[in-house]
Amino acid sequence: MKIKFFLIILSALAVFSIALFCGPKWISPMGLSDMDRQILLSIRLPRVVVSVLMGMALGASGAVLQGVLRNPLADPYILGISSGAALIAAAGIIFGVTIFGVFTIPVLAFAGAMVTGIFVGAMGWKRGGFWPDRLLLAGVGLGFLFSALLMLLMSVSSNEGLKRAILWIYGDLSITDWSIIPYGVIFIAVGLAIAFSRAKALNSLMLGDDLAHSLGFSPGKERFILFIAVSLMTAASVALGGMIGFIGLLIPHIGRFVVGSDSRVLIPASALGGGMLLCIADLIGKSIVSPMELPAGIITAILGAPYFLYLLRKRDVLSI
Amino acid sequence: MRKTVLNKKNRLGFIVLFFLLLTLNLQLSTVSHAEAPGRIVSLAPSMTEILFAAGLGERVIGVTSYCDYPEEAKARTKIGGMSNPSLEAVLSLKPDIVIMTTNGNSKEFEARLHSLGIKTYVFMTRTIDQLPEGIRKMGQALDSEEGFDRLASSIEGPLSEYKAARKDKGLKVVFMLWPEPLMVAGPGTAIHDAITLLGATNIAEDAKIQYPKYSIEEIVRRSPDIIFVGAATGMDMQKKSSGLLERIAYLPAVKNGKVFFVSENLYRLGPRVIPGLEELAQYLKK
Amino acid sequence: MYSASEKHILEIKGADFSYEKEKPFIKDISLAVDNREFIGLLGPNGSGKSTLLKLASGILRPTRGTVDLWGKEIHDYSNRDRAKLLSYLPQLLDMSIPFTVREFVGMGMYPYDTLPELTVDDAIEMVGLSSYADSLITNLSGGERRRVYIAMTLLQGAGLVLLDEPLANLDIKYQIELLRLLKDLREKRDMTLIMALHDINIAFQFDRIIMIKEGRILGSGPPETVLTRERLNEAFDVDIELKRDDAGGVYIRY
Repeated sequence: MKIKFFLIILSALAVFSIALFCGPKWISPMGLSDMDRQILLSIRLPRVVVSVLMGMALGASGAVLQGVLRNPLADPYILGISSGAALIAAAGIIFGVTIFGVFTIPVLAFAGAMVTGIFVGAMGWKRGGFWPDRLLLAGVGLGFLFSALLMLLMSVSSNEGLKRAILWIYGDLSITDWSIIPYGVIFIAVGLAIAFSRAKALNSLMLGDDLAHSLGFSPGKERFILFIAVSLMTAASVALGGMIGFIGLLIPHIGRFVVGSDSRVLIPASALGGGMLLCIADLIGKSIVSPMELPAGIITAILGAPYFLYLLRKRDVLSI
Repeated sequence: MRKTVLNKKNRLGFIVLFFLLLTLNLQLSTVSHAEAPGRIVSLAPSMTEILFAAGLGERVIGVTSYCDYPEEAKARTKIGGMSNPSLEAVLSLKPDIVIMTTNGNSKEFEARLHSLGIKTYVFMTRTIDQLPEGIRKMGQALDSEEGFDRLASSIEGPLSEYKAARKDKGLKVVFMLWPEPLMVAGPGTAIHDAITLLGATNIAEDAKIQYPKYSIEEIVRRSPDIIFVGAATGMDMQKKSSGLLERIAYLPAVKNGKVFFVSENLYRLGPRVIPGLEELAQYLKK
Repeated sequence: MYSASEKHILEIKGADFSYEKEKPFIKDISLAVDNREFIGLLGPNGSGKSTLLKLASGILRPTRGTVDLWGKEIHDYSNRDRAKLLSYLPQLLDMSIPFTVREFVGMGMYPYDTLPELTVDDAIEMVGLSSYADSLITNLSGGERRRVYIAMTLLQGAGLVLLDEPLANLDIKYQIELLRLLKDLREKRDMTLIMALHDINIAFQFDRIIMIKEGRILGSGPPETVLTRERLNEAFDVDIELKRDDAGGVYIRY
């Protein structure tokens, strides 16, 4: 296991440096010109850091959600949690809410994520358990509703500038700069720490609520704590770069294959894997149509949506 | 078997009937609108501006929700957006003619208007250079040559002066429409035309679309001599773009104070391109 | 015989429970369990066996009455402390997540900060699954999966184990194996076991049988005295009788 982790960290470092030096144009680490150094430091580095942070948050969120809901199709995007976060954040921008100062957008996104998560959970809960199809339908349905509301907000606001101001919500990492990173780091670090510290509880929840109880955990309380962790991480990722889909779905599946199902290993592995995936997706997005750019969310959707459909086709998935 | 034959016949009949009606309609419309149209609907902000500037403002009864210039245009009935106008809203205004542009309106919508017997005029001009000519043609189609001619000349005069004075300044320019995510003016826009006309180079000239989402890295690499930041309604662009400008603070243009905040004059290929040109020219001179 | 100061390992006093208002499901059940007892909870489907076990394990709270574990109200224990004394294995086992046997059994250590006396591999060996330690539980048979749970419980080290129909849906071979394993473990590890069952065939394997129907106790005591024809008929609503033959075997006559 230690060797595997070492390899994962190694490949993560490799991906991050590739993302730094590759891009629309290759920058050679040997003999940096002034301009190269400036591009590296002020443009590529923050963007790589943000994509890694977001990917980590999404990968770990997926691992936690899939465990909490005992559903391999769970992902903050598919379950509408990202859209909930994005909607409230966008509404905050449009109505000019600034009550929490620099934290306003992340805090609003957190509120949106939390409310959506709990609502989807409540919709999917029946007779003492989560019903995979109900969860999925509730999530997808809410996601539709939130996208519609987002569009409504955009079309009723006659202000052209405001409309552009919330465009990033659709998954765009190009707005990143150093100044928003600290807030993202705080949210993601707290979320990851909570998730990691409750990893045993998460493992036991995967065996069912009664067994979790028998192993000394209160299922309701643990689930709530883990939902807070997911909401914090999802909110931070939405605040940093908008809605990015499917990372939370893909990565934990690959992670389970590589390091196994134990959350104590799967959560950090999914975080690293998510970081790598988004980093690569963004690298592709900003390179293939250079000098123009594609949002990273499009790339992750192209990679993730077919996998989602493949999972859906495997019938046993819905019978958990 | 027999059934399908019948169906085919039926369908054929309908198609024939449809075309008959269509031609009838077309004839009717050409006949009844021989003189200058009294009820005009404009499907683009640039068209609205031209119509008002040519003195037909009174007759414009419907505009898009983006038509905010001149001030009187805002008071006209709104018929929806440019790419998605409401057919019903247009019909309910009973227009004599609907003015469209190839830059932003859809062909399908034009076809639907035709099929309903509504006359359209499609403005084909896409460059500042051909704007006066385009305006004159439009005046002929609307049977109001005088006003349009005056407008065309008012553009033509200054334009030829700029053209005559044009010399390659060797300046690289970028025009930012929105800082985050970064959107710049690409080829095929009045902004691009204006930059070229003034003897400078738009660094985004190789972009494949009019308003590309552009790589900041590429901006740094191409290091423009001058950065224009366009206005957006209700937005403090200095504040909005401060984050981006801070990140590229080491660029000579930013360091030497060559970042200029300009109006939205050049956003539309219409009467305001001349003040827009003047604005840019003044900064390019320095 | 024990003195008044000696406590029952589990004591339920006058417990009522209802899932819906005004519709009591468990009615006034009182029950005391002593250390090292091996108890079979017998009754037809829907008689309240599972609910009673959930009340006893603290998953459900009685609407009236109390449940004491070692003389203390079970809900006054912290979750962790309770888990060291009592473990509960539900009837429906969720085996969809691909844990390895070792990972799964290892969860028995969760209530403890220090390593327990038994190691994970010891526990796996005790249930005879050593060769499967690194296999995924999703690849195991039904009987093997149950044994994985038992191994986890062993590691958890709780003295009182409540099992909800552990033999359900198992082939007879695995039923017998599992029952033998449980009896054996009880001897070796001083455990108290309460098992819900609806199969009368194995009732004679227990020290004590508690028969319930419609949320009430019909009788409690050694199998020979409790499993009378009248009680069986009342509980299962069909005329059946248990007979023992000369060799000590038991068969059902109906």
